[in-house]
Amino acid sequence: MRLRVNVASEGDEVKLLDASPEGAVGQGGHVVVSGVTKTFRRARQSRLVLEKIDLELEAGEFVCLLGPSGCGKSTLLNIIAGFQRADQGKVMVGGRLVTKPGADRCVMFQKPTLFPWMTVLDNVLFGPRAQRKRTKEARAKALDLLLAFGLSGFERHYPHQLSGGMQHRVAVARALMNQPSLLLMDEPFAALDAITRARMQEFLLDLWERERMTVLFVTHDLEEAILLADRVCVMSPRPGTIHHQAEVRLTRPRSQATVESLEFLELRRAIRSTIKGDSQ
Amino acid sequence: MKPVETREAAYLVDDVGAESRMEVGGGPQRTGITRLGRKLGGILAQVTWVALGLSLGVGVWQAAAVILGSDVIMPGPATTFDAFRYYMGHSYPTQGYPLWQHAWFSLERVFLGFAIGVTVGIVLGALMVAIRPIRRTLDPLVEAMRVLPMIAFIPMFVVWFGIGNQPKIVLIAVAVVPIMIVSVVAALDQFPEEMVNAAQCLGASRWYALLHVRIRGSAPAILTGMRLSMGVSWGNIVAAEMIVATSGLGYIVLEAGLYLQTALIFAGIISIVVLGLLCDLVLRLIQRALDPVRREPQR
Repeated sequence: MRLRVNVASEGDEVKLLDASPEGAVGQGGHVVVSGVTKTFRRARQSRLVLEKIDLELEAGEFVCLLGPSGCGKSTLLNIIAGFQRADQGKVMVGGRLVTKPGADRCVMFQKPTLFPWMTVLDNVLFGPRAQRKRTKEARAKALDLLLAFGLSGFERHYPHQLSGGMQHRVAVARALMNQPSLLLMDEPFAALDAITRARMQEFLLDLWERERMTVLFVTHDLEEAILLADRVCVMSPRPGTIHHQAEVRLTRPRSQATVESLEFLELRRAIRSTIKGDSQ
Repeated sequence: MKPVETREAAYLVDDVGAESRMEVGGGPQRTGITRLGRKLGGILAQVTWVALGLSLGVGVWQAAAVILGSDVIMPGPATTFDAFRYYMGHSYPTQGYPLWQHAWFSLERVFLGFAIGVTVGIVLGALMVAIRPIRRTLDPLVEAMRVLPMIAFIPMFVVWFGIGNQPKIVLIAVAVVPIMIVSVVAALDQFPEEMVNAAQCLGASRWYALLHVRIRGSAPAILTGMRLSMGVSWGNIVAAEMIVATSGLGYIVLEAGLYLQTALIFAGIISIVVLGLLCDLVLRLIQRALDPVRREPQR
């Protein structure tokens, strides 16, 4: 059974998020990472996790960071998010230097990290409330988002009463409340079963087609990276560097059917040959 | 590539929703009456088990009384109940207070000491988590306090605070503080960092995230510490009242012992148990209200 919720009549280009003066494709989503170096120090040992990372994301671009576990891709994402500080180098998002976490850059983790003591609606309203914004408008917007994400009727449920896919959709709705110009996603679907995961990928693609915010998506799954991204950045460990970048020019909108196309397979073979794993 | 024609203005919604609704059994389509019926059924089953356990205990007690065959050595349930009823209306000792007033005195001391101890413990615990040097300094002290039997200090408390209510309240507070510190520190430490990070990138300030996410999210675990503390409070108040007091349940249990009023000893002990359980029940209800996961029907 497939439920479909229409947010607008067919063909209508209605956005869920209010258009900002510059639009989502304005300066807000432009990301420049320059010369970022990070070393972890643990009793007598120091490990160079990231070495002189340079990376630029155009506003509205969908970029995947691909690499084996331990290559520093999550660390890079955390630095862009503002959770960790770089030892050297700097990160600019929308022309502003990143020094701490901010509502313009929303992070989605592997777990949905919903607050278990809040209902679905309260979770979605967390951002506006934390920033002491007018809750009446925020409430209407939250209900719209939940409706569009097929979650209406579940506003007063608690997170543990929802399935994994639904929890992730609530997390996305919660993130979108702040109209972030940059979504940072740290293997968000890695813990889901294959079917739910494929659905979440389509959901994300659909959302991105509509809103065109900048997305930086960390994954260790090559197929996921190609399916979603405009550009795949391949990272290698010890020290973490981006050693290869591949443009993905597959036509959009994409769906799971894209995975079976010939272009996809060729691209996969080409990128796979550049991945340096832990074992090599 | 095949064009997907249904994607225009619709977000795809998987059917996981329907599946989960069935799992939960509390979805939007469930009517209030069936839910109420289910709840009543659950409560009824729980009451049945409690009644079964209680009657088993009373049965063993009655059997022991019959076998020993003496109301002084082993007063049975009926004798104890008679003593309980009698002293609810009559003072013990003769110039003292009726049983309910003794119970009230004990409850008052426990409540005040517990409230002070819990407040101090939560504040100190939160400070220890937030500020590293404070934690380093207080850690060994807390560890030492935890193994120390506070009741050993009661003579000193009497010297410092007299023989009124204060030494007992202080004793309970001092006994509760280390337990609360340990459980608050553990609760805040265990709280997933990711959740605090998520709050911050949703626009919460550090203080907002600390208060509304880390502390609020740890509240159910802190309540567990409070339940432990409540048990310790009752243990300490009874001991303190046995050593230095002219009122309270601990006092009458000791006093009745001196005059071999064994039925009254039992009545006093049962009053302590009932009050202790009631206090725990209140805390459990608060814990359930704070934590939706605990509100799920037990399978």
